[in-house]
Amino acid sequence: MTQSHPDTSGSRRSARIKSISASFVARVGLMAALALIFSYIEAIIPYNPGIPGIKIGIANVVTLIALYKFGTKDAVAVSVIRIVIAGLLFNGLFGMVYSLAGACVSLIGMILLKKTDRFSVVGVSMAAGVLHNFGQLLVAAALIEDLHIFFYFPVLIFSGIAAGILVGIIATLVLRSLKTV
Amino acid sequence: MKKYIRKADIILFFLLVACGLAATVVLSMSHTEAGRSARVVIESNGSEFAEYSLYDDVSLTVPAPKQNENYNVVEISKGKVRVTEASCKNQVCVKHGSISRTGETIVCLPNRLVVRIEDPEGGGYDTVTS
Repeated sequence: MTQSHPDTSGSRRSARIKSISASFVARVGLMAALALIFSYIEAIIPYNPGIPGIKIGIANVVTLIALYKFGTKDAVAVSVIRIVIAGLLFNGLFGMVYSLAGACVSLIGMILLKKTDRFSVVGVSMAAGVLHNFGQLLVAAALIEDLHIFFYFPVLIFSGIAAGILVGIIATLVLRSLKTV
Repeated sequence: MKKYIRKADIILFFLLVACGLAATVVLSMSHTEAGRSARVVIESNGSEFAEYSLYDDVSLTVPAPKQNENYNVVEISKGKVRVTEASCKNQVCVKHGSISRTGETIVCLPNRLVVRIEDPEGGGYDTVTS
């Protein structure tokens, strides 16, 4: 996925750049900034459920809106930009790897589920929440070279469902209001 | 935008919950009461760092693989194992509390530490079948 790279050297490159319109750049920039703020708010809220990896993932509201309002390309761009910048700013490189893995799996899931056109935003979000946790767990297992970490799986499934539903409801409400704008 | 919640969502919801419940059941069944032969295996960065009997009294500082002063303190006493101290930010391993059954694990991801209880003679069914 090519993002908004400013350099346009090389003819093959510029041909690809052409497909990225100014409105795409502006739109994605705006949404990525918004998602980043959500990430930040979530990072500074001092709530601690005592178990790691459990968070709401409010930033995914923006990803969902990007997906439903503007399509796959926007959603992928917004979440990748958000994760890279959030990683550099406050999550650290480690956090970035985890988030990217989670986002990768959950984006694929969201895109596929949306394609089937059988799920509502809440359902897609719920799947995304679980898949996100699953992706992170895979990375954790790979890092620690030990599958025992899967003892953690049930907790992550349930928290993923809960967080996903919450995010999905928020996204649904926002999308409804956006329609009238 | 169609309905808030559709049929497929509900099916998916129950599927996921069922997955979670199944995983919980499988995991809790894999934990059995530790026998006298139970061992505590401490792994750092994927390779074994130390091994003790579950009934030893030990307090051990395990350095993290990446030089800098990161560490975890693992304590074994009265057939229970816990991480009493950790240099990491999230303190997950410390909050995990004590483990005492075979198959149970404490993990510290930042320091790549795994502490688990194993029983080489196998508990319950394994003994019968072998």
